[in-house]
Amino acid sequence: MSTVAIVIAISSFLLGTLLALLTIPVLVWLERRIASLIQDRLGPNRTNVFGFRLGGVVQSFADVVKLLLKEEYYPSHIKMGKWLFMLAPVITFAAALLAFMAIPFADTLHINGEALRVQALPIDFGVFWYLAVGAIGVLGVIFGGWLSHNKYALLGASRAGSMVISYELPLGLSILAFIITYDTIDFNAMVQWQSGVFFGFLPAWGILVQPLASIILIVSLFAETNRNPFTVAEGESEIVAGYMTEHTAMKFAMYFMGEYVAMNTASAVIITVIFGGYQIPWVSTEMMLQNFSVFAGVLMITVPLIVALLIRWMRKNNTVRPTVTTDSGRNFETKVLTIALLAMTALIEVILLYLIFFAESTLANSITVMLFQIVVFVAKLMMFNIFFIVIRWTVPRFRYDQIQHLGWYYLLPLSLLNLFITALVVVGVSS
Amino acid sequence: MNKNITVIPRHGSSLKDKLYLPAIYDGVKVTFKHFFKNVSDINAVDTLEYPEEQPTDITERYRGLHRLTHRPDDSIACVACFMCSTACPSDCIFIEATEREDGHDEKMPKSFFIDTLECIFCGYCVEACPCDAIRMDTGIFSLTGSSREDFIMDKEQLLSHKGAFGEENSCARD
Repeated sequence: MSTVAIVIAISSFLLGTLLALLTIPVLVWLERRIASLIQDRLGPNRTNVFGFRLGGVVQSFADVVKLLLKEEYYPSHIKMGKWLFMLAPVITFAAALLAFMAIPFADTLHINGEALRVQALPIDFGVFWYLAVGAIGVLGVIFGGWLSHNKYALLGASRAGSMVISYELPLGLSILAFIITYDTIDFNAMVQWQSGVFFGFLPAWGILVQPLASIILIVSLFAETNRNPFTVAEGESEIVAGYMTEHTAMKFAMYFMGEYVAMNTASAVIITVIFGGYQIPWVSTEMMLQNFSVFAGVLMITVPLIVALLIRWMRKNNTVRPTVTTDSGRNFETKVLTIALLAMTALIEVILLYLIFFAESTLANSITVMLFQIVVFVAKLMMFNIFFIVIRWTVPRFRYDQIQHLGWYYLLPLSLLNLFITALVVVGVSS
Repeated sequence: MNKNITVIPRHGSSLKDKLYLPAIYDGVKVTFKHFFKNVSDINAVDTLEYPEEQPTDITERYRGLHRLTHRPDDSIACVACFMCSTACPSDCIFIEATEREDGHDEKMPKSFFIDTLECIFCGYCVEACPCDAIRMDTGIFSLTGSSREDFIMDKEQLLSHKGAFGEENSCARD
């Protein structure tokens, strides 16, 4: 392995870990802010560090400190299986985290004949990895609920078990349809397949090629992440906190963070499989590399536009009402952030100019494209996370037998039908 | 069929309802509308930025913190009849009576304590008072302190509270 290969491997591992872990506080904050904005409230917007509120995202870090410093309480009635009771949240958290590691953040780099995957785990059987590891997450929920020796927790665990038998089959079958369509079990190859066009003008995204399987995949992944409308393993109104009733402090925080990591992973899988992953529509990696100066030029125009819009929004909204006398350092924050954003934009412009006119290195070009793809990936990831959150605050919950009904009577036959048609079409086209 | 019975049509049996997805689409449209409206102008969200912005909609009938009223010549209106402490369901009013020397009535409170931590702000003391001596029209809705003793209002504190809605003196004593 060359030095570049080692550097890329380490940095993509770090990127994957950071993307999975650092999004937790951001997602918790997004969840609370978006929920409140949907309900015409403001949400947490006061916590700050030296006057920097960043829209209130600091609140999540304060919450983490609170959970870390809380008393670790062990229910004394748990005599048997205490180690598994303690391990259960870790299983849920680790499974969601590990499942995220197989997602490609950018296209494979080709440097001096070496193909370097920009994945935290450079494996080419990502779909199987995701299905195998992602499914373990619910085991943590079931163990945790069962070993709590608590009726609410046991009910939550049995409901989680009922969820598994409802969604796992449609999930696997819908992914099988995608495997047949893309003819690969490699996430990266799936994204490359989707960078083409479909019917001559549509981007060949999974949602357009396989609409039915896409909907089944999205529904099953909503169920797998235990989010609304499929929150049954916990339910305030009927079974208190469900499977995590007896879990306190950091054990609870593990479940809590595991839920957000799972949501992040599900979003990543959805955008990788059906929304073109790190690609923007109609543009493949080769096109960007071959017409690098055009790509850089477009980037040089769009980045300042986006930053200008952001600054305009910030200047309008990072203020207090005219009726409030103290401004709590918001003007100062706006000023500092504006300068930081402008400096960042200027830096990007200078680098792109240098790359267009002076650098002839293909390595620099491909790294620029890689960084761009990572940014696109993160943007899509956040958009889909926001979709997850908006769905949660829109739709009421299903009852758990309704979910089984949905899974077995509608999703399973539909996914089987879809699989059948897909197989027929693929065999017909290839023969 | 009895004509008093109204038959409500049951919804949810059409294909569109059974698909769920159109309904979810409609719901998401509503939530996104609220979200984008609020995110584009955060200061227009109809909430109170509480400590900086104070409520302006406290009405005359709002039961705020108690006060003891005065007579026109600034002496205390209370005659220490114990009606309020008798009516009080949470037993938070403590009165000690003494003889009155200023020529108005026979009795006045020597001490008058209200434990606002016990108080449930029901307003029965105001209803019971024959002299219009205790009122809850101060408009004070927030009471803070750093110890429990800070919340026990004595006679001087209660007399120092001002009525927020114009009527300053007792209407039943002159």
